[in-house]
Amino acid sequence: MILIAIIIGCIIGALIGINIPTIPYTYSGYLAIAIIAALDSVFGAITSSLKKNFDMKIFISGFFVNAILAILLTYLGKKLNIDIYLAAVVVFVGRMFNNLGTIRRYYVEKITEKKGKKPEEKSQEKVNNN
Amino acid sequence: MDKKKIAITLGIVCLVLTISICVQINTVKNANSTVAQSFTENSLRDEVLKWKEKYDNILNQLDNSEKQLSKIREEATKNDTTASNKEEQITLNSNLLGITDLEGQGVEIILRDDPNATRETIGVLDDISYHIIHDADLRYIVNELKNAGAEAISINGQRIVNPTAITCIGNVIKVNDEKITSAFTIKAIGLSESLAGIDRPGSYVELLRENGIEVTIKKSSKVKISKYTGAISAKYMNLQK
Repeated sequence: MILIAIIIGCIIGALIGINIPTIPYTYSGYLAIAIIAALDSVFGAITSSLKKNFDMKIFISGFFVNAILAILLTYLGKKLNIDIYLAAVVVFVGRMFNNLGTIRRYYVEKITEKKGKKPEEKSQEKVNNN
Repeated sequence: MDKKKIAITLGIVCLVLTISICVQINTVKNANSTVAQSFTENSLRDEVLKWKEKYDNILNQLDNSEKQLSKIREEATKNDTTASNKEEQITLNSNLLGITDLEGQGVEIILRDDPNATRETIGVLDDISYHIIHDADLRYIVNELKNAGAEAISINGQRIVNPTAITCIGNVIKVNDEKITSAFTIKAIGLSESLAGIDRPGSYVELLRENGIEVTIKKSSKVKISKYTGAISAKYMNLQK
């Protein structure tokens, strides 16, 4: 259900995005960091929905506040002549990998559970090894 | 129900996300194509792009303010005969200077290099350079048009103004410091009959035709000539005391 919604959103978004005019080059740096922040929010949302503790308010506020804070940091960094946006990128991408790991574990466990008892033990060992 | 809500929210967020990703990709792609690919120094490229953007913006602003100025002038001189006379003079002068877009009756001359000229077709005795258009040809035609009373002339969109030079630089011709190549479209505003007289028997145009250069002359009641976009500077000239 969630996966289908994401795929449909991506396809429609790509179709619209191709036909939309470009933004001035000066602002493309800010858009890039906002994209990373939004991507992080989406991964976070998927993880929390798998854990069944998804909260709409937290998701929406996180989506906007993270993006805006990242843009502000980038702006500040440009004024101070230091690449602060790198810190934002590191944090966001690190969290993205964490969330991705949680998602991966969830699905791996689900698949091995379906297959029966023997493979489950194996996977349990693997998880512990990780 | 709750899952549906989550799915819809995530779908919308993904929609926004992909739109912005596509816009970003397009922007970066455009930025790379406007500046040479080999120009890899990133910060330098950024600077260039930003200056270019600023330049374009300011050019637009200038255009807008010029339009506003002419509007204000028009309104200010509405009910004042001396002022409207002055306004007419200003318009005439700026038309003569070449800083306004003009339209009127005149001719359109299209010159094309001889399409059949190759080493084989013209033989060894002929010179192939007779079969292509040179800067001198353009100068001659502009001169003749001026002689026939042309009030405004442009070559491939380059307005002929006071500081215009038509020179040859290798395989292209430079007009107003802009490179142009064949086919040349020369537009002139003036009495179209007298301008079309450039195509009389024994004329320079005839000579060009004999050399295989394609010349088409079209009389028109609505020739549109765009303005001179460069800057006109006057550094050394002063009024005599």
